[in-house]
Amino acid sequence: MNTSVSRSTIRSPRRADRTETQRHVSKKRLATKVTIAGGALYIAYDSGLLGSSEQGSEALNRAKAAIPPAVEEWMKYFGLETPLPTMPKVEFSPVQAWNSGVRRSISSLSEAPTKATQYTNQGLQYLKDLTK
Amino acid sequence: MSEKELGKKWDRCLADGAIKFGTGLGLGIVFSVLFFKRHTWPISLCSGAGLGMAFSNCQNDLRSSYLLHRSQKVGLCNKTHSN
Repeated sequence: MNTSVSRSTIRSPRRADRTETQRHVSKKRLATKVTIAGGALYIAYDSGLLGSSEQGSEALNRAKAAIPPAVEEWMKYFGLETPLPTMPKVEFSPVQAWNSGVRRSISSLSEAPTKATQYTNQGLQYLKDLTK
Repeated sequence: MSEKELGKKWDRCLADGAIKFGTGLGLGIVFSVLFFKRHTWPISLCSGAGLGMAFSNCQNDLRSSYLLHRSQKVGLCNKTHSN
């Protein structure tokens, strides 16, 4: 008695065996997927996200302006009245600090030779006065 | 190019880089979920492509001040004197 199961019964049904409705459903699914992907791509292109750097920064500014009111609206819709924590305003500007640091260090480097000669002259004068 | 202009260009470059990376990531996730059975490679490919586009834009933006634009080009004419 042959108990081994033939491989063809275990394998999934071939394309030719699928019914017309199954093929129709798979075509519809593919069309839906292509529509969604194409729509996402079109939205990204139309809003300037894939364009030049000016268009990109404009899109970012528009998003920054649109997000807080949208978030507030959604929070009201869900009944969450607690306000979002606002960014604390920091007076310290790292750019200004860095620039002033660079300027100070370069100016001190440029003045270093003259100051060094000045101090050595003063030191020598002091020693001369001591030995007198 | 003044320092302020250069600073603005760099700011634009960084903002553009962030936007294109995010857009690429989003589109990569969409394609990965819809067509590629939630594999990771479409996400990395699309985000990498976005970063590449941002790099190219940045490069063009920074080089644009050194290029001679079409309206500024002056034509040369060779005059031949025939006696």
